[in-house]
Formats: sequence, structure tokens, C-alpha cells
Amino acid sequence: MIDTFSRHRPLSLLAIVVLAQVLLLAFQIKRENNVRLVRYWAVELMTPLERVGTWTFSHVGGVWGGYVGLRNTRAENERLHSEVDKLRLRNRELESRSAEAQRLSTLLNFHDAHPEAPMLAAQVIGASADPTSHTLFINRGERDRLRRNMGVITPDGVVGKVVEVFPSTAQVLLINDKDSGVGALFAVSRTHGVVRGSGDPEPHMEYVVNDEKLQPGDVIVTSGEDRIFPKDLLIGTVGNSKPGSPFQVISVQPAARLDRLEDVIVLLSLQELAPKKTEENSEASGARDGAQPPQSSTPAAKPAGVVTDPRKFKPPATPTSAPANKTPTAQPPAPQQ
Amino acid sequence: MAYMTNFGTHSEPNIEVHKFYGGAVLGTCLLALVFQTFLHKYGRWSELIDLPLLVTIYFGVSRRNPVSGLFLGAGIGILQDALSHDNPIGMYGIAKTIVGYLASSVGARIDTEHPLSRFGLIFLFFHFHQAILAITQRVLLNHSAPLFTIHLFVDSLVTSGFGVILFALLDRLRKSS
Repeated sequence: MIDTFSRHRPLSLLAIVVLAQVLLLAFQIKRENNVRLVRYWAVELMTPLERVGTWTFSHVGGVWGGYVGLRNTRAENERLHSEVDKLRLRNRELESRSAEAQRLSTLLNFHDAHPEAPMLAAQVIGASADPTSHTLFINRGERDRLRRNMGVITPDGVVGKVVEVFPSTAQVLLINDKDSGVGALFAVSRTHGVVRGSGDPEPHMEYVVNDEKLQPGDVIVTSGEDRIFPKDLLIGTVGNSKPGSPFQVISVQPAARLDRLEDVIVLLSLQELAPKKTEENSEASGARDGAQPPQSSTPAAKPAGVVTDPRKFKPPATPTSAPANKTPTAQPPAPQQ
Repeated sequence: MAYMTNFGTHSEPNIEVHKFYGGAVLGTCLLALVFQTFLHKYGRWSELIDLPLLVTIYFGVSRRNPVSGLFLGAGIGILQDALSHDNPIGMYGIAKTIVGYLASSVGARIDTEHPLSRFGLIFLFFHFHQAILAITQRVLLNHSAPLFTIHLFVDSLVTSGFGVILFALLDRLRKSS
């Protein structure tokens, strides 16, 4: 550079002097809007460079962001998909646990409501392989002091009884099995009968005379005569009834959801569940937890399936308004289980 | 007479380089500028002659040194701009800088002593000077300055004729060898 300048010294000086005067002019001359020419030139000179720079940076950035930066996207996408699958699985697990906690909370409330009655919570672990047989298996057995003919209930109502006991499991006969029978009575009229399974999903109440005035929704509770269930445990409600020979044909809608059982309570004794204590404990439990009592599918199952005052009970489908203090017209035989 | 043995990038022996009495160059240049502004007061005819341009050309071709020629042209041009009331400083400066440089370069190559060659040289430099001025005004000032008109042609003829006479007078300021 210096060598070139030395070789062309006069020409270089000419260029420098002319350029200096051009700059001098540019400082003096003002264009539109009173802007000096030198500023005009500076802007004109710099703007294309800035445009080129901006264009280059944006395109390089676009290429980087659109191609180079995406080379790990596929792997990241797969990783995220895998993570989403795991989270979905985890979510289902938590939902399941939440539902289980809800059921166990209901059982606990029921247990707390009847501290005088020894009972044991159990999980349903299986059902009968025979479609005509309504039985199920629970995860409690001989080791847990279970014996045959112990009553099995839920906070909603009566489920059935223990028919076979194994070391760690037990088989429960549901009340809708054709071999099942539960001593029962109408909560309002106190008319006795027997709730028997018929092989259908709905059991029937037998030995009720045709003179008995019944309406759908009438509450049926245990009578305690079968020496399996304590008195006044909720069995279900009258579905429909029709005159028969010699007794009415009455279908019963079980209060317990027999087709969706997951957790049940095994009554370890025949001790009656104190009705008054039930209400008190229910309120106390709610106050202690600081929350509403556990929700159930039927109002009668809050929290204990014990009917204290039939007039206050509202069945799930249609409320009953059966007259009180009705005299039983027939006394059925004790149910044979 | 003195002989320049090393001129610019070219080594051309036996080229005459004229020297002038002390203060002659500076005095002549200042006098030319004063006369240019003084005569301007006395009518249109004074615009026909560009005395600073003639002085620039004369000392350029006589001294035959491009560096001193361009600086002389720059100085005269800038002073001419400064003395004019509306020209931004540098308009004549640029034009005369280039003319001074070219005159020095040409003076080293061709005979500039003959009146006809002087006439032709002044004529060409006049239009070259005018072209640079016009281009500068067009580019920098956005003025539509003409490159060539009859009026400019007449000016160039008058200036060239006057220049031949002026150059002969200025030759007397040279030191004798």
C-alpha cells in the first residue's frame, strides 16, 4: 500500500486533495429538509451495508433455525412423545389411586361411624368363572379371622355373605345369586320377607302377601333374622311388584352396585350397627376432615348403609311415600342360606 | 534554466523546469484573484475571462511539477470559492486542483511555449474545467449546469486569446538561466 502510494505519489495526492474538497463540500451543502450532504452520503453508504448485513443475518439465522438447529428435533420429538406416553400412564395410575382413595375413604368413614362393630375392609380380587353364578373373591381369608357366613356389605348397602374361606382369600356369594337369601323387611311397613337371588341381576323379595300395598322405591332393609346381617342394613328398593300366587312378585334394586364392586366390608360379628351413633359419627367425621362426607351413588349410603328413619330415606330412583305403622300380614319363614 | 532529472514516476531528462522570482507565484495568484473580483464589478465582460484558471494553467505547465500544480490549483480554487458569495467552498477548488495537476503533467510532455499550443491548451483546459464544474454541480448540488453552450464556447475563445497574451507577460517573471 505504502509502496503503491510512493510509486503514484502525485496521483495519490491528487485523489486525497480532491476527496478532501468533496468532503468539504459535503459538509457545506444541504439537501432537502436541511440535511447536510455528508449525512446524506453517510446514510446512503451505510444503508446498503446494513441491508446486506440484515439480510445475511436473517438468512443465516433462518438457515440455522430452519435446518441446522432442527437436526435434533426428531430425537427431541421422539423423546417428548415417550415422555407424554409415560405421563399419560402416570396420570391413569394417579386417577386410579385417587378413585381407590375415594373408595377407601368411604369405607373408613363407614368404619368410623360404627366403631363398636368389628369389621374388616377387603378388596375384590376376582369373580366367578361361571356366568350364572354371582360370586366374587376378596383378598381376605382365614388369616384375617374370616369365617363362613360372615356378612359382606358396602357403605351403599348389603353385598352378600362369605361362603368359602381360604388362607388368604374368601369367596363371597352375592345377594343376587340364585342360592342367596337375606332376611328382609320393608323399612316403612316393617313387613317381613326374604330377598332371594334369581340368577338375574335383580333379586326378588319373596313371601309378601298380595294385600301389601307397595310402590316402586319402597326401602328394603335387613331384618337380622338370618343371623348373618345385623338389623336395618339397607338392601335396596322395590323395583316393581305384581300380584302372584300365593305371594307378590317383587323385584328388588340392590343398593350396592353389585356389578362394580371393588372394595367391601366384612362384618366380623353380628353386632348391630348403632343407628344413632352412625349419624353422630358421620357428622363428627365430616367435621374432623373438614370436608363433605364422601359422595356415593345413592343417598342412603352416606356414610353407613343403615336405615335409621325410613321416612328420611330417599331412594335413588323414585322417592317412596308408603304409609307408616302398617301391620304385617304374614310372617315369612326364616331364610335358609 | 534548470533541468529536472526526476519527475514523478517518469524519468525524462532534458525537460525545462522554469523557476520564478521569489514571491512571483504567490503575488501573481493573489493579483489574479483580486482582479477577478475587482473586474467583476464592472460588467458582464469580466465574466468572459477566468484569470485564476489562466494563472493555474500557466504555473502548472511552467513548473511541471504535478504535486505543486495540484496544490496551487487547490489553493487558488478554494480562495476563488471563498471570494464568491454563493459558491460552497470546494467547487472551484476541485476543478482547479485537477486542472493544476493535469497542466503540470502535460507541460512535462509537450511544448507549451508556442503561442498556438498555449491557445489550444488554454481552450481545452477551459472546457475541461467547465466540465468538472458542471459535473460537480450536477452531482453535489443537484443543479442542471450545462456542459457546453455557445456562450461557453465564446468564453473559451476569449479566455484563450487573453491567456496567450497573459502567458507572454508572465514569462517575464521567470528567472533567466
